[in-house]
Amino acid sequence: MDATAIVRALLAAEPDALAVASLGTATSALRAASDDGPHLYMGGAMGSALAVALGVAEARPERRVLALLGDGEVLMGAGSLWSLAGIRPPNLLVVILCDGHYSITGGQPLGAPGRFAEVAAALGLGTAVVSDLGEIAPSLAALPRPALVEVHYAPGEWPGPSPFIDPPVVRSRFEQAAAEGSS
Amino acid sequence: MTAAPTTWQAALGTALVAGGVQIAVWVPDKRLAPIVAAIEAAGLPVRTLTREEECIGYAAGYRAAGGTPLVLMQCSGLGNALNAIGSLAVPYGLGFPLVISMRGTLGERNPSQMPLGRATTGLLALLGIESFPLRRPDDVAAVVRGALAVADGARTIAPIILDAALEL
Repeated sequence: MDATAIVRALLAAEPDALAVASLGTATSALRAASDDGPHLYMGGAMGSALAVALGVAEARPERRVLALLGDGEVLMGAGSLWSLAGIRPPNLLVVILCDGHYSITGGQPLGAPGRFAEVAAALGLGTAVVSDLGEIAPSLAALPRPALVEVHYAPGEWPGPSPFIDPPVVRSRFEQAAAEGSS
Repeated sequence: MTAAPTTWQAALGTALVAGGVQIAVWVPDKRLAPIVAAIEAAGLPVRTLTREEECIGYAAGYRAAGGTPLVLMQCSGLGNALNAIGSLAVPYGLGFPLVISMRGTLGERNPSQMPLGRATTGLLALLGIESFPLRRPDDVAAVVRGALAVADGARTIAPIILDAALEL
């Protein structure tokens, strides 16, 4: 199981979701799994991706929104877990790709336990911890939203496409995707 | 019963709502509170977030998804927000109004507030963002109108700097 396979399984379960991908592995894996779909790929601002997804979810409450985050990303912006619990957007699914490493900076290990689901559960959110591809779809189907899912996998090859995206192009494509179905 | 006179803070909040702002996100601050209260009184949702860079991230996502957000922060929080501004809002062209209350300026008694107060507009300028000072209550309507135009049309963060002179 690698990051791209995980994201493919997520997209199969949430085919119409607007997705926000954090800097690094999440962005490259989403690019690979969606054939460069019109998602909000982040090329920087590490630690901000969950906040971005909260903004997307609240601006488009009629759409399902997927936040695809690295584990180091979430540690850097951990306060947003509390904001997630405070706002509780009913259309937001947060998935954390947990390989225990800062892949974008060369694979250094995290310096803290990546126990995000336990924190989220303490905050009153629906949670799941998954380490098998086949568990992803049933886990998502069973969870009330907002929900946080920890997906554990072993660090491996970089998922393929560059994480260094062209921001105006990403924004323009995402704006169009987000506008679909709105009045 | 006589209505209380409208304060400049209430006028600012009301003008931002009338100009099309749909939601306000902030980290609490005493000087911003009356503005936020006016926005809430107008029926808009307000989100209290944990940190200023989170406010920038939230607003960037809200704007990218087609909405019109407002961020409010104290100038010391601008230091917390710089990477989200420089690595997200600026390169992606995600503009929104940003109301900044000033510490570390005329009338300040806390030494710890001075450096970021002095640096506020300079830090924004280094990131290519022009600041729009609000110095007199009579200027509220024009500054809000101009800042919303910059945020929406020119697609850049439009900081409205609440000058110390407003409260002295």
